[in-house]
Amino acid sequence: MTRDSAAPEVRVRDLTVVYKTPAGELPAVSGVSLTLTPGTITGVVGESGSGKSTLALSLLNAVQPPGRIAAGSVEIDGLGDVLHLGGEDLRRTRGRKVGYVFQAAQSSLNPLKTVGKQLLDLGRSHDVADLRALVADAKALLARMGLDGARVLDSHQHELSGGMRQRVGIMLALVLNAQVVVLDEPTTALDMITQATILRIIREVHEERALTTLVITHDVGAVAEVADDLAVMYGGRVVEHGPIAEVLGTPRHPYTQGLIRAIPRLSGDISLARALPGRPPTLGTLPVAGCVFRERCDKRMEICETVEPETVTYDGRTVACHAAGRPAPVKRREYA
Amino acid sequence: MITGTAITKTFKQRGNVLGKREVPALRGVDFAIPKGGAVSFIGESGCGKTTLGRIIAGLETYDSGEIVIDGTPMSSLTHRNRQPYYRRIQLIHQDPYSALNPTRTIHQTLEAPLRLRARQTGRSKAWCDVRAEELLDLVGIDPGYVLPRYPHQLSGGMRQRVVIARALTMDPEMLVADEAVSMIDVSLRLGILGLLRDLRERLGVSVLFITHDIATARYVGDEGELYVIYRGQVVERGPTETIIADPVHPYTQSLLSAIPVLHGLERPGAEQVVPTEALDEGQTDEGCLFSRRCPFSTARCESERPVLGHDGGESGEATVQLHACFHPRRRSVIPQGVGA
Repeated sequence: MTRDSAAPEVRVRDLTVVYKTPAGELPAVSGVSLTLTPGTITGVVGESGSGKSTLALSLLNAVQPPGRIAAGSVEIDGLGDVLHLGGEDLRRTRGRKVGYVFQAAQSSLNPLKTVGKQLLDLGRSHDVADLRALVADAKALLARMGLDGARVLDSHQHELSGGMRQRVGIMLALVLNAQVVVLDEPTTALDMITQATILRIIREVHEERALTTLVITHDVGAVAEVADDLAVMYGGRVVEHGPIAEVLGTPRHPYTQGLIRAIPRLSGDISLARALPGRPPTLGTLPVAGCVFRERCDKRMEICETVEPETVTYDGRTVACHAAGRPAPVKRREYA
Repeated sequence: MITGTAITKTFKQRGNVLGKREVPALRGVDFAIPKGGAVSFIGESGCGKTTLGRIIAGLETYDSGEIVIDGTPMSSLTHRNRQPYYRRIQLIHQDPYSALNPTRTIHQTLEAPLRLRARQTGRSKAWCDVRAEELLDLVGIDPGYVLPRYPHQLSGGMRQRVVIARALTMDPEMLVADEAVSMIDVSLRLGILGLLRDLRERLGVSVLFITHDIATARYVGDEGELYVIYRGQVVERGPTETIIADPVHPYTQSLLSAIPVLHGLERPGAEQVVPTEALDEGQTDEGCLFSRRCPFSTARCESERPVLGHDGGESGEATVQLHACFHPRRRSVIPQGVGA
């Protein structure tokens, strides 16, 4: 397929991001390796403090002090290692090559300027020669997402609903033809029906424009609706990664298993669902040695106290757990 | 037992040259919350569910209608004489981060309302300390750890438990939980929902659960009742499990269809109801409030407004639940489990 050849691959290797705290520099992301297959949507799920937003910012080399990228590389096809870019090169990359849809679209838009003015600002800062064509592109994109382009461009952000702002955010991320798009919590604080619409738009636009997309969220349900691959983060590590139906259908890491069990569901036995014991770690409470999940884990062994589990790959899935490290026959399931 | 009849509320926005704009938040809502029961209000933001919750908790006035608490109509009482009734109803806020005073320890946070309660019931100061520990035990956190700490030292789940403990200081008969789990980490959500269910069973406290996430409503307890609210009107009402399994109103069906499917664990129901494109615009006050977005709307829906009843449709299909629709039809929209 043509779109697969056009979309770039993103390779994150041994990425470590530390934050300066009174207790010294503590890792929010620790030795993360993750490959985004060209033309796919990868979902990253994790709870607060799992390092998922820090990982997303690293793709733009945009981690702000007191944070610092301490080690690793982020290679994007056609761009090289983003972490080695600086100054003007980096500024041009952001927006034109890598689009970013921010967590709260309402607070990422300028309240004093109309959407159209902000679009022109974006065009000028990226030396777009034909601003008329840019506006036409923006209108087409907004129309594609079910909005009246002319009206939206004339509006201030307070005149738009949450779902409309989110679509404006997606438009601004895509209008310069970025091929890698990062969406940080794209549906948080949206209503159910609006969320379903936004998720459908993300999926459709992704396919039409041959993108490589990363969706960061805490909502397993939302990501299950759009993603091809799923990466599960806990305590700054990717503990499991693989095709979404397989990760959800036959989770191998105890955290993934617990997380799926903890989702309130519309069908099935209520008594089978239970919360994970304990609480999510913060920077200060992360154990220094051993497995980061061991305190909440029901499969804890002696080795977990001292040795951090290595990431093992088999059948196209990776998992970092001593208890799940051995390849087992994969149970086949039928997917809808 | 708390009942409400024909509650209406209209918010008047500040005027401009074109005159005042009136926003109807509630358009004649009836409800009944039995003692020890679990009632859930479901709807999108702006549908009026939070306003209704605040009215029930006595924090908001209403324009017309009547609220009756344990047989006493509230309109017959003066503001002062209503206070003892509203003590029995306590609100749990959505955001456990801003609901607690950051400059007070948990001990101080619980002590103030307990002192008041001690005065009301003629108990000693010493009782307050004992009671604070009892309450924290009840909500499942270690009093020794929590009492001397400040809110910022606790996780979101623990803070929400403290907020619930604080609501319990007043010995309420009902808790109004407004989006009580939406800010809590996913792995801890069921813990809070389980606590609310537990309080119902152990203390006989009734729970009014306000949420946009239908799935969480199932976990507040069995025999719960669900109210689906759309633009200030109850459009469907009935036992929680029945409405989820057999929704008849197209709005309920589109809400349920919008819930993401966990591929690999579930598959979508056979008949999905996809809401029409115009999400944000083209709302009308003529006829059925949902008619513009409804895929099954007919000429009648645009001129006449259906009322909540057992069958409002020409199909004459009788249903267990109440609904406000001219063309009610059961559709199978919820995700089906894939064999284990």
